[in-house]
Amino acid sequence: MGGAGIDLELSDSQIIEQTLGGEPEAFNMLVRRWERQIYGLTLRMLGRDEEARDATQETFLSAYRNLSKFRGEAKFSSWIYRIALNICNTKLRGRARGTVSIEGQREDSGIEIAAALDDLGSNIQQQQITLHVRRALQAIPAEMRQVIIMKEYEGLKFSEIAEILSIPVSTVKTRMYTGLAELRKRLEHLRGAV
Amino acid sequence: MTEREKTPDCNMREALVSYLYSEATSEEARAVEAHIKECATCSGEIAGFNRVRGMLQHWQLEDMPMMKIVAGPQKRAFLAAMKELLAAAPLWAKLATASAMILVVLAVLGTEVSIDRDGFSLRADLLRSRSQSEVRSAPTDAPGHVAVEQVRADMVALVGKMIAESERQQKDEFRAQLVSLQSEIQNLHATELARIASRVERQRTRLQTLERDIDRREGMDLTEILFSEVMNQTERGQVRSRQGGD
Repeated sequence: MGGAGIDLELSDSQIIEQTLGGEPEAFNMLVRRWERQIYGLTLRMLGRDEEARDATQETFLSAYRNLSKFRGEAKFSSWIYRIALNICNTKLRGRARGTVSIEGQREDSGIEIAAALDDLGSNIQQQQITLHVRRALQAIPAEMRQVIIMKEYEGLKFSEIAEILSIPVSTVKTRMYTGLAELRKRLEHLRGAV
Repeated sequence: MTEREKTPDCNMREALVSYLYSEATSEEARAVEAHIKECATCSGEIAGFNRVRGMLQHWQLEDMPMMKIVAGPQKRAFLAAMKELLAAAPLWAKLATASAMILVVLAVLGTEVSIDRDGFSLRADLLRSRSQSEVRSAPTDAPGHVAVEQVRADMVALVGKMIAESERQQKDEFRAQLVSLQSEIQNLHATELARIASRVERQRTRLQTLERDIDRREGMDLTEILFSEVMNQTERGQVRSRQGGD
């Protein structure tokens, strides 16, 4: 978890108490502690750096403004992940819908990866794989994407994801399975490269 | 592995996912392991998903972009906001608020207050229970006159008390701020003085060293100065090597 120095000694709840108790600058500790995770989540959900930055800022502003509504029963992380996902979903709904087909995604980079990878430096190879992963993630439905991101990159448990999304654990697992199967179809052509 | 006939769905999705992420119970894990030994489809799914997971890990975050979160005013409870507003408001505003609050309380208690050409009038259920009539303050010969005067006197006394309290509070706050400011200035002053003193001391030591060097070299020609420097260095080297030997 991010953050350094004295703020590590305080729990999220203690920082919230301080903020609500008239020390708004204490909220900066929460921002420092969670900004990387939230930025990671929004970037992977939205796929665009600029939009992810905006979404991260909106998330923290919304959390700050609604801090008095935060109920201590849930973890702060669950609460702020939920806010971030709502903001991402709103942004995604606002976009013109254009789904990338599996074939389109393979051809998109302009080169046949598997054939060309041998000739490329490992750095370029790495960048190409990352590009394909980004595109594959963006191409699957948001409900599957968010589950995969929270599991793979945020390392949350299925029960935590279920709590954040307010859905049963079994639904989370089903979405995870379907999402992975979809990604597999989209990324299978990279098999030899990894 | 005995290959079972491939089925599109072995109804193992949830269990496979739990197993894949090490969240299966030991019983579930045993069941999955037994199943994938038998079922090539599910075994292939696990292997394929593991490959996908490996690929996903290629997308790692680089440096965090610089972000500035500008926090606006905190939403707070109505009472807390009112309290803060009152604390910041000037005396006349506090008085007006206090009077308004008293009127609201009286209205809640069933009391009507109005000001018209006939003067200040007040109708109170509590008062009516005693006077059974509308109470007017001016012009007045009404039977409830005494009661109205009493209420008015109470209100004046209450407002007076609130003014005194507010003034006292302001004085206290001002005094506390002055004390805190004074102590802050003293602290700053002390820190600065200590820093200057330490710097002066360092300069003085350096000056003394220079003076000693100058005294020592006075009357020596350039060769002697260079020779003495070489000797000094040699001596320092010997001391160091002795210390190293120890």
